[in-house]
Order: sequence, then C-alpha cells, then structure tokens
Amino acid sequence: MVTEPTTVKSSANAAYPTQDRPILEMIGITKRFPGVLALDQVNFSVSRGEIHSLIGQNGAGKSTLMNILSGVYTPDQGEIIVDGQPVAMTHPREALRLGIGTVYQELSLVPKLSVADNIYLGREAERGFIINEHSVASRAREVIERLGVRDIDVGTLVGELSLAQQQLVEIAKVLSYNPRILVLDEPTAPLVQEDTDRLFWLLDGLKSQGIAIVFISHRFKEIIQHCDRGTILRNGKLIKTIDLHGITEEALAESMIGQQLESFYRHNSHTEGSQAGIALEVEGLSVGRKVRDVSFQLQRGEIVGITGLLGAGQNEVARALFGVQNEVSGVIRRAGRPVFIGSPQDAIKQGICLLTENRKREGLFLDMSVKENMTLPSLKSFSRLGAFVNNGKEGQWARRFIDRMNIVVRSPSSRVRTLSGGNQQKAILARWLMRDLEVLIFIEPTRGIDVGAKAEIYSDLDTLAAEGKSILVVSTELPEVLGISDRILVMYNGRLSRVIERAEASEEILLAAIQGDTGGSGETPHGR
Amino acid sequence: MGILSASNGQRASTARDFLSDFSTVLVVIALFLFFGFTSQRFFLVDNIFNIMKQMSIVGVAAIGMTMVVLIGGIDLSIGSVALLSSGITGTLIANYGWNTWAAIGVGLLAACAVGVVNGFFVEKLMISPVIVTLGTLIAIRGLGQKVLWINNSWVEVKDPVFDYVAIEKVWFLPLIAALMFGLYIVAAILLKQTRLGRYIYAIGGNQRAAQLSGLPVVRIKMLVYILCSFTAGIAGLLTASRTGVVNPTLGQGLEFDVVTAVVLGGASLAGGIGRVEKTLLGTAILVMVLNYLTLRGVPGVWQTAVTGFLVLAAVILDRLVRRRVA
Repeated sequence: MVTEPTTVKSSANAAYPTQDRPILEMIGITKRFPGVLALDQVNFSVSRGEIHSLIGQNGAGKSTLMNILSGVYTPDQGEIIVDGQPVAMTHPREALRLGIGTVYQELSLVPKLSVADNIYLGREAERGFIINEHSVASRAREVIERLGVRDIDVGTLVGELSLAQQQLVEIAKVLSYNPRILVLDEPTAPLVQEDTDRLFWLLDGLKSQGIAIVFISHRFKEIIQHCDRGTILRNGKLIKTIDLHGITEEALAESMIGQQLESFYRHNSHTEGSQAGIALEVEGLSVGRKVRDVSFQLQRGEIVGITGLLGAGQNEVARALFGVQNEVSGVIRRAGRPVFIGSPQDAIKQGICLLTENRKREGLFLDMSVKENMTLPSLKSFSRLGAFVNNGKEGQWARRFIDRMNIVVRSPSSRVRTLSGGNQQKAILARWLMRDLEVLIFIEPTRGIDVGAKAEIYSDLDTLAAEGKSILVVSTELPEVLGISDRILVMYNGRLSRVIERAEASEEILLAAIQGDTGGSGETPHGR
Repeated sequence: MGILSASNGQRASTARDFLSDFSTVLVVIALFLFFGFTSQRFFLVDNIFNIMKQMSIVGVAAIGMTMVVLIGGIDLSIGSVALLSSGITGTLIANYGWNTWAAIGVGLLAACAVGVVNGFFVEKLMISPVIVTLGTLIAIRGLGQKVLWINNSWVEVKDPVFDYVAIEKVWFLPLIAALMFGLYIVAAILLKQTRLGRYIYAIGGNQRAAQLSGLPVVRIKMLVYILCSFTAGIAGLLTASRTGVVNPTLGQGLEFDVVTAVVLGGASLAGGIGRVEKTLLGTAILVMVLNYLTLRGVPGVWQTAVTGFLVLAAVILDRLVRRRVA
C-alpha cells in the first residue's frame, strides 16, 4: 500500500517552481469537421509542475483538443509549441516522442498478460527477438515504484487487478515513455473516493517531479480541490483560463454552462400523503454471496436511493429485480402479489425496467439510429399485424420523446453513436419511458455525463415520480443520492445496513453509513 | 456539444453509407463492362442467362447466411443441407412416387430440422457456431449420402415441376433467377420492415443490450439458424432442378461461395452490419468473376484461388472506404 495519501495541494505546489515559459502552448487551434467547427481559435497552455484541468460539457471541444494534443487529429489552423519549439504532430507516436503521454478513458490493457508485459507491450525486446523477462520485470517495477505504488506486483495478470489498479498500470505504461506532459481523460470516472484520493496523491508526486498534467473530469469537487488552473471550453470556443484556488463549484458550473444554475436537484418530496400504496416489495432477497437478506418496500411515486461502497451489493439488488442475476432467492411482490422474475422479459411484464451503469455495453445499439434505439422494446405497439413496423407512427413517437426529453439530435434517424454521452443516456431513458412501465430502476444514471444533462435527468426523475412512477436509483455519488431520494437505503457488505429518511440525511451521515456505521441500532433494518 | 457533434456525425455517416453502398454497385458495373469488352462471349444473351442461373443457387443460400452473419454467427453446414433436402425430395419423387410438392415440403422440413439442431447447439449449449456447423456439415453430408444409397447413390430427378423451373422464363428472366429475386424482395422486407428484422440487427449490434431490452434473444437466433437452413434447402432444390440429378457431391463447398458473396456484399462478420441487397451484389460479383475466368479458359484450381483473393480484396476495399470517409 502507498504511504498516507494526502489531499493537501499547497505542499506539492511548492515542491516544483512553475517556470515562466510553459512547457506546452497551443495557439489559435482550429479544427473543423464536416459541417461543424469543433474548435475555434482556442489557446491553451500548460506549465511544468501544474495540474491543469480542461473543463466543459460533453462536446465543448475537450476531446478534440485532447486528441490534437496526443497526435490523433491534426489541427486545421494553429500552432503547437512544445518547450519553445513549434512542432507538427501527425501521429500519436510523435506525440509520445515529444514527451506527451495520454491516458485514455478506455484502458488499453491486455487482461491475460502480466503487469510488466502490459507496460512494455511491443517494446520487450532489447536485442533481436528474444524477450528478457527479468529485464522487462525490473524495468516495470521501476516505473511502478516511481509512481509510488507498492501494492501491485508486476507479475500479476492485469485481469486479476481491480479497475483502479488497472488504471494505475495504464498510467505507469504511459510514464514508461518518460513524458513531460501527461494527459488524463476522465481518470476518476470509474473510481471510488478512496482510489480517487490515491490517484491525486500520485499525481501530486508526478507534479513535483516537474511533469505537467492535463486533467479532464466532470467532478467539480475534485477539480477545485486538486487542480491548479482550469481552461473552460464551451461550444468549441475558449471561455477563459482561470486560477482554481478558492473558486466555488457553482461559479465553475455556471461559467461552464454559461447560465445560472438553478435548482440543480429537486426539492419536493413525493410521499407526504402516505396513501400512495406499495408498488414493489422485496423480502429476504439474497444473491449468491453478494447480497444477503435484503428487504424493503418501494411506494408509488417515491424515489428511493440505494448507495454503498462499490461492490457492497447494491448493483446486484437492482439486477436481481430485473432478472439478470443468477442465484437469486427471496420474495418479490408487485402490487401485493408475489411474482417470479427470471429474465428481463418477466420483469418487463411485471412493469419493471432497468437502466444499467454500462451505457455502451448494455444499453446502446451504436450502429442503429436514435429512433430505433428508443423504440426497440415498444416495437410491438408500432406494428401492423404484429409484424410490420409502422414507420410513421414510430417516427412520431420518437420525435415526441426527443422533444420531451430535450435530446439534441439532428433527426430521429441519426445514429446514436454520434450523440454525446448525456444525450445517449436520455435516449435510453426515453426507451423505457415510451414503454410506460411502473417501476423504474436506474444504476448510476448520470455516470460520465455532463452537468447540464445531469440536471435534466434529475428533473425527469422528479416529474416521473410526481406522475406516480416508483423509482429506485442505485448510485455511489453521495450528493446525487442525497439530492434526489425520498429515502436512502445504505448497503454494507451485502446487507442492507441502514435506512435514512430524507429529512435526517446528510453527506456526513451517509459517508459514515456506507463504511458500515449502523447509526446505533445495530440490527438489520427493514426498509419501512 | 450536442448540436455540433450530432450534425457532424450524421453527415459523416450518411456519406459513408452512400459511398460504401455506391462503391459496390460501381464495382458490379465496372466488372460487367470490363468483362464484356475483354471477352467476346460475356455479353451473349445465353451467357447472361447462365450468370443469372448460377447466381440463383449461391444467391438464395446467401439470404439465410446474411441473416446468420447479421446476428454474429456463421453456418458452414449449408452445402450439406442442400444435399439433404434435394436428396430426400428427389428420392421421395423417384423411388416412392410422391407428389412433387409434398416431397419438396418434406425436403425443406428436413433442412429446417438441421437449423433447429444448429440453433440448439449454438444458442442453448453455447458452443461456437463454427464448431457446431462444421459438425453438422460432416454429419449431414453423411446422412444425405445415406439417403441417396437407397437408389444407387444418386437420383435422377425427372419431374415436370423441376424441369419447368429449370427451363421456363418469366418475361425475359429465367424463372430460377426470378425466384431468387422474389426471395430477395421478401428478405429485404423482412429485414427492413418487420419487427423480426429490427430485432436481428439489434441482437447483432449488441446482444447484451438486446437481452436487457427484453427481446427473446435465444428464440430469435434459433429462428435465424432455421431460416438459413431453409434457404440452403431451397438452394439444394434449385441445384437439383438445374442439373436434373442429385449426386453425393451436390452442394459441396457451397458455404465458401456463399460466405464470399456475403463478405463481398459488405456484411460484418462481427454482426449487426450488412444488407441483403448488397449480398445480392456480392453474389453478382463472385459469379461474374468465375464466369469470366471460365470463358477465358482459366483452370478451376485458379478460380478457387481468385475467389480467395476476392474476399481479401473486398475486406481491404471496405476498410479503405470507411477510413477515407470517417
């Protein structure tokens, strides 16, 4: 394990004096794609020993700028100056050679190779074709240690590491090229707080070695806490570059969106008059060894949040209710009657739907249109004779939901691949709203989407609850759980450890609860 | 970003669709003209008819194969299924004096039964389709040959319906080719206009997401394997009609030609991408090339080699087009 992680940044700041001349300057960068100006005269610079955050909504131009920086795209106009020398990069290899290393969101590791082999993949041979395993391992060990990591053995297969550890290996891999500039694209998105802290502790270390770090994230809190400067992009234009010391989250969010953030989370409670009735009741639900004896009820028109540390069993509960989990036992009742849910088809028949946290793998049909993505489960009701798709009716409904959900798309027949993450998520949400089911279950509904889309999804949930739908939201983001739930179920180690009413919930209580604090009661609570 | 990226992506994907669709049509026209002007016999009416007749067998089997490839599978057993259906139908007519249509029905049912077996092993027992259909390729050829033993290992099909299909013309088209075009229209409607078609693309594009959307994935995939065996069975009957006999080698190697046609048509073997209209174009390219080589007196072994290179060329061309536009 690493030595005590610290989140104090001033100390690391002082360790390496920022020099006058930035290590990297990008001047007047313009990038045009067919029909769109992705970047318009953008200036960007990073200095040695700073963590510089690129801030903007999905599609503001962050990825384009990052891809230009890492040599994936060539800019149409503009100059890139590295260490005082104008450079032209036409390939990622050249960027690496110039000392620009990029850690992409999608990790590029081979699960069945060892950590060492992954780090030096393609560069193993020192003489001819013979791989000297000892030398590869010892060089890999050096890189890992330089990162300050002690709990990863270079001989372990990457597939056996946790996601957070894999990410460290990916960073080590990039570090092995000795970059002067390190670009990280949303590295914290899949991480829990503990791993995020550790990551920043490592980044502070690299920073003190004089490496310039470009950091992309959607989480304002960590940006403010750990980054030195930020460059804000909106619609492909540079808004401003600011010092992040002492700025507030709201100010940051507002300058990113370009308008006032009003009620970000909803504030009205839905179940004050408790005449609502029980929509879903779970009794003694167990899933293998991951979930044990969980019981709770979900009222009509209620939003219940389930939270816990990653792997505490909350995802399995949600998946069990949709029939996509093995080894499920316990009783599930819908409107008072016990039901069997062995497959998504069963669940849908019972009026239950699920949005999982894995949008690309479990939600989207990337090569199909937005319309087709939205109507798939409802296709039967758009069909003539039960078999032929009624295109007119289908298009009408698609358009209706595109308007209602405010999905930004040129036409219903655009490919869903071309939408931003937030709009993709809204399209999947629309898929189930169109089906008009009673119980909606979401796992991490706002993961990896920008703040504007987040706010819209929160207000959609609010409206749905007001219409009498019952909503279960599984989330590891505590502010989100706090902001939207009428009631919060906390899971710890596979058990339902605590139920917290909205009125008495706070971030501190939740934080303690997810670490196993039962609030004094000591026994397994039942969710109402 | 929404607006910007959406319009950008939309335009790019439309352009890509257009270019890759159009490029296949262009290749067909270019080959047709080139072959016509470099061989005296290529443009002869008889030769054009011959090409259409040759296309019909590969083309019909390629319909089912396109669907199997769309769901991310493959079916190597189609040549044996062609033998089984034609062998059973032929034997029932020649040896037992069955009514032609009843015999055809039984032959096609037997073909579908192979599809049930393929689908069951692939989808219920989760065995790789390559392994399963390689197994049925061998087993069903054996079974088909066993059926033929009843009558000295081959059957002469002397039947008015079979003769009619082989000889008759509709308008200016050979009937056998018209049948193929008809089946393509049905298949295109099925894939584009029906729920089943939409489900097939969805499953091929993202099977996990299809499951989570509540589609009966296993049932649909089994149905697709059955449809593939069904079209293979029809291809077998058409072969019997054209040649007038069913012998033990009928349909041998059909899977190579058919997979070649599907790939030439631009379908992705990873599933989810492909269109039956383009498979028809792929079939046309393959058959025209083979026909031309025969006209130029190129020996059969070399024709096989050319077929192989065609597949590679198609894959490379497809990738180039995609990269240029993307």
